[in-house]
Amino acid sequence: MKAPTPIIEIRDGKKSFGSFVALENINLTIHEGEILTLLGPSGCGKTTLMRLIAGFEGLTSGTLRVSGEDVAAVPPERRPVNMVFQRYALFPHLDVFENVAFGLKVKGLAKSEITERVKRMLHIVQLESLANRYIDELSGGQCQRVALARALVNEPKVLLLDEPLAALDLKIRQHMLAEMKRIHAETGATFIYVTHDQDEAMILSDRVVLMEKGRIVQIDRPEDMYARPKSLFAAKFLGETNLFETAVADSGAQGTVAKTASGIGFLSRNGAGHKAGDKVVVSIRPESFSFANNDEGSSQKTQGQVEDVVFIGSRSFYTVRLDDQAKIRIQVQRNGRVKPPEPGSRATIYWDADNVVMLPQA
Amino acid sequence: MSLSKSVTGSLLSAPTVLYMAVFFIVPSLILFAYSFWSAASYQVVPDFVLKNYLGSLTSPLFWKVTFNAISIGLWTATITLILAIPVAYYLVYVARSQTILYLILLTWFSSYLVRIYAWRTLLGTNGVLNTVLLQLGIIDHPVGAFLFSSFAVTITLVHIYLPFCILLVVASLSEIKRDLIDAARDLGTSSIGAFCKVIAPNAANGLIGAFMLTFILVAGDYVTPQMLGGSSGQTTGLLIADQFRKTGNWPLGAAQAFLMFLVSLAIYFALLTAGRMSGLVVHRPRKKKEA
Ligand SMILES: Nc1ncnc2c1ncn2[C@@H]1O[C@H](COP(=O)(O)OP(=O)(O)O)[C@@H](O)[C@H]1O
Ligand SMILES: [Mg+2]
Repeated sequence: MKAPTPIIEIRDGKKSFGSFVALENINLTIHEGEILTLLGPSGCGKTTLMRLIAGFEGLTSGTLRVSGEDVAAVPPERRPVNMVFQRYALFPHLDVFENVAFGLKVKGLAKSEITERVKRMLHIVQLESLANRYIDELSGGQCQRVALARALVNEPKVLLLDEPLAALDLKIRQHMLAEMKRIHAETGATFIYVTHDQDEAMILSDRVVLMEKGRIVQIDRPEDMYARPKSLFAAKFLGETNLFETAVADSGAQGTVAKTASGIGFLSRNGAGHKAGDKVVVSIRPESFSFANNDEGSSQKTQGQVEDVVFIGSRSFYTVRLDDQAKIRIQVQRNGRVKPPEPGSRATIYWDADNVVMLPQA
Repeated sequence: MSLSKSVTGSLLSAPTVLYMAVFFIVPSLILFAYSFWSAASYQVVPDFVLKNYLGSLTSPLFWKVTFNAISIGLWTATITLILAIPVAYYLVYVARSQTILYLILLTWFSSYLVRIYAWRTLLGTNGVLNTVLLQLGIIDHPVGAFLFSSFAVTITLVHIYLPFCILLVVASLSEIKRDLIDAARDLGTSSIGAFCKVIAPNAANGLIGAFMLTFILVAGDYVTPQMLGGSSGQTTGLLIADQFRKTGNWPLGAAQAFLMFLVSLAIYFALLTAGRMSGLVVHRPRKKKEA
C-alpha cells in the first residue's frame, strides 16, 4: 500500500465564539480518498469543524491547510471543497436539475457540458425521473440525494457531509449508507462525514475521529476504537460495555492484574502503563463474556445468577448478577454446541485477557 | 366533541371578517356607488353618471397630480427598499438580534407631524442644509427649492416609511434560512452573488410586497405633500382629500379614489410581469403531488 497523501491538515486549531471555546487543540490530518467520520455527542463541535474546513468560519488560532496550502484567506467559494448541509439547504426556487446544476452554472461551464454532467450525477443518485420536481415535492431521502448530487457534481476534492442521514428513518438510512459507500468508490473523493450515530461511523469509515467538548479524544480505525478505546468516554460512547471500578494489583510480563473491591480479578494484556495501586476502570464488551470456557490457557472466570434473557434473532442478551451484586450484560451468539443457562440458574462466566481494557478513571 | 376544521376556521376568522365587512367592504361599496352619483351645491344626488370618471380622465390637473403621486411613490418606494434591504440583511443574517429592530421601530413613537416639521427646519431657507452649503461656499444664496418640492416630499416620506419597509423586508428574509447563503457560497458564488441568485428570488414576492405597500401608503399620503410639496408637489391624495374636505364633491373624490386604486393595481401587475420576465420572480406552476 502506498503512503497516504494528506489533503487536509489542521495544526493546533482553536475556535472561539466570543468567550466560548468551541474547538481546542485540534490536530488532524485527513488523507486523500478516505472516509473519515467525526463522531461525538451533539454540541461537541462537529459542525463547527466542518464549517472551518468549508471556509464559513475562520480559526481563532492555528493553521488549516488544504493540499498543502494555508487557506486562512481563501473564501468558501474558492475552496476545492463542497458541503452537504445538515438540513440539506436545497434551493426552493429551483427544481432538482437546476439545484444540481447551480455550481456548474456559477463556474460558467458550457450549457451542453452542464446538462451532461448533471444528468450523469442524477443517474448516480438515481433521481433522473425527478429532474423537474421542485424541492418541496420530494421526500426526505430524495432531498438527501439531491443535496449529495449538488455537491458531488462539482467534483470536489473533499466532500463534507454534516449528519446527512439524521433526518431519515432507519430503513432508508441503511440503504443510503450503502449508497454513500458506492458513490464514494465511484467518485474517489475524500469524504468527511459528521455523525453522532456510532453505527453509521462504524459501517462507513476508514477512520473515526471521536470528539468530546470541543476536543479530539481519539483517532482510530473503527474496529480498533471499539476494541481498544483510550478513555472511559470512548468506551461508553462506542457500543455497549460493562465497567468495573478496580485497583491495579500487579503489573508484569503476563499482563496487568486489577481487582474490584469485592475481589474479582481481571488480567489484561491491554493494561500497560498502569502500575500497582492505580485506580483503573475495567471495560469488557458484552460479547467478550461467555458461558463456555473457550481457551483453557487464558480464560478468567467468575460466578453469578442469571436474571434475565432477551432474544434478538441470532443473538441473546443476558443480564447476570455477580456475587458482589454488580450486574453485567452478556451477549451470546446462538449456536448448537453450547446450551445457554436458564434464567434463575447459577452460571460461570468466562472472559479472555485480550478483551479486558483498562482505562484511567475519568 | 371537537369542531371540524372548517368550523373552527370560520369561528377564528369571524371577528376579522365581520370587522372588514362592516368597516371596509361596505364603505368601499358605498364609495363606489357614490362615484356614479352627482353633486350639486354640497349635496350628493343619487344618479348614474360617468362624468366623475370621464371628467377626471380628461382633466390635465388630475393627470398632473397623479403623475406626481406615482413618481413620488415610485421614487420613495425604490429608495426605501434599497435602504431597507442591507439593514434587513444585517438584522436577519448577521446580527440575529431583535434589539436593533426595536430601536428602528422606536422612531415610530415620534409623531408624524413632528417629523414633517423637523424636515421643514432642516430644508428651509434658514435650515441646516442651506446653512451648511452656504458655509462651504457651494451656494451663494439660500436655495428655496429644497422646501416645497417633490424632493422635500420624497426625502421626508423615505424617512417616515423606512422603518415600516425594514420591518416588511425583515419579515420576508426571515423565512429564508441562512443555510441557503452558505450553500450558494459553497457552490462558488460570492456573497453578493448569493444574495442575487438565492435570497432575492426566494424573497421576491416579499420584496415586491414591501415595495408595493410602501408605494401605496406613500402615493396616498396627503399630509406630507400638503406641508412640504408646495404647488408643484401636489398629489392625487391631496386632490381627493380636497374633494371631500373643501369642494364637497364626494362623487368626484370617490371616482378619483377608484382611479388611483386601478393605477396602483396596474403598477403592481406591471412590476410582477417585469420581475417574471427578468427571471427574478419565479412563477411556479404548482404540480399535483402524487399520492
Ligand atoms: N456561530 C456561533 N456562535 C456561538 N456559538 C456557536 C456558534 N456555532 C456553534 N456554536 C456553539 O459551538 C458548540 C458546538 O456546536 P456545533 O459545532 O454545531 O456542534 P455539533 O455539530 O457537534 O452538534 C455549541 O455549543 C454551539 O452552541
Ligand atoms: Mg451539528
